[in-house]
Amino acid sequence: MGKLFDAALVLEYAPPIFLRFHVTLAIVAASVVGGTLLGLLLTAAQLHRTPGLSLAAAGYISFVRGTPVIIQMFIVYYGLPLALYRVGININRWNKLYFVLIAYALNNAAFMAEIIRSAVLSVPKGQSEAAWSVGLSGFQAFRRIVLPQAFLTALPALGTRLVNTFHDTSLAFTLGILDMLGQAQAIGVRTYHVLEGYVFAALVFVAVSLLLEKGFTRAEAAFGRGVKK
Amino acid sequence: MKSVIQIKGVRKSFGKNEVLKGVSLDVKTGEVVVILGPSGSGKTTLLRCVNFLENADDGELTIGELSVRFRYAGKKDILTVRRRTAMVFQNYNLFSNKTAAENVMEGLVTARKVPAAEARERAERELAKVGLGGKRDAYPSQLSGGQQQRVAIARAVALNPEVILFDEPTSALDPELVGEVLAVMRAVAREGITMVVVTHEMSFAHDIANHVVFMDDGLVVEEGAPKEIFFHPKEERTKQFLDRIQLKYDYSI
Repeated sequence: MGKLFDAALVLEYAPPIFLRFHVTLAIVAASVVGGTLLGLLLTAAQLHRTPGLSLAAAGYISFVRGTPVIIQMFIVYYGLPLALYRVGININRWNKLYFVLIAYALNNAAFMAEIIRSAVLSVPKGQSEAAWSVGLSGFQAFRRIVLPQAFLTALPALGTRLVNTFHDTSLAFTLGILDMLGQAQAIGVRTYHVLEGYVFAALVFVAVSLLLEKGFTRAEAAFGRGVKK
Repeated sequence: MKSVIQIKGVRKSFGKNEVLKGVSLDVKTGEVVVILGPSGSGKTTLLRCVNFLENADDGELTIGELSVRFRYAGKKDILTVRRRTAMVFQNYNLFSNKTAAENVMEGLVTARKVPAAEARERAERELAKVGLGGKRDAYPSQLSGGQQQRVAIARAVALNPEVILFDEPTSALDPELVGEVLAVMRAVAREGITMVVVTHEMSFAHDIANHVVFMDDGLVVEEGAPKEIFFHPKEERTKQFLDRIQLKYDYSI
């Protein structure tokens, strides 16, 4: 069995583990794309104060933010087939990954909604009023004046959220998804060298997080040129 | 003379507080109407009702051939009224994500579908007129209050509206920046653009206004030519107000 920790093995296990990076990316992508779209809908429901809808949106957001993502993932994995079976749709043979993608998108939507909502509310009312006064319609004013300013305000929070989402994906292996962590675990079980795989995975997480942070700092500087408030 | 804007019997309450209790106003082409009055008299609310930044509870608005009851105004009416008027705000409200030139262009390009090149040309011309030709690429955060307000005036004038509404345009400015904004407003008035101005600048009102309206407690107390209102006010309330305001000019420190 040899040494408890063999640095050479970190390198040896790196390729098979890194080959599963695309699974992690797929989960992040689903979270970002699905989460943003759903999040915008939730924000719209809340900001428009449609009586029933805004309450439902608020309830959904507080449920998602109040429970761990791993529980939400299990609820979707075991609950969604059951719910859909009732209405005659059988998804029992679906790839497990689909459930994870759905769960993470649903999860991220709540966080995105909160970020978007607070950013939109942070834009002073006078900006919309000025836009209306020069003849812009409500939608034009939102699209051209409010949203760009809100986006700038939201950027730091969006960056943090993206990094968090990226880290959260590491829970998917609990459903048996073969992402980087799933692979590291599998290697550990096979070779009894558990630590090396996890160390490599940690390195990848650190590197990508740093890259994301740098990217967002740059984006803030680029978009914020001259617009500081 | 032809009326640009007529409002009749505007009423507006915020909760239980009735701010406008049936105000009527008739603005003729090329006229400069100055609205005076103590704070809380409803001047600003009246102005904001005209372009639907506040929804008046009752009353009627006529602008050109379009006549709307405030209460029944649809989205289309509101947009039409807003595209025929322009507003200069107390806090400038320049679009902070856009440069001075883009601020002026926005309404032209997005709302009125003026081609971008033509809009840019017009923006540069208007900015030059308010003495800011060199600041066209500056963001609002890089401009002083006076400069921002001059851009806001250029933004309003560029739209070639039938009337420009000025809501206390100098109230948020440092005293030494008030002059430059008033000078620009004088130039706008000289061009024959119809203006409705809510202000506390008495000397400006006296010099520029064709018509002065004195409001108090949600009602028009008295209106007429500036000479009449300033030197021969008929109502006791107007006299009190003017005495208190003009005291400032009698004292020297």
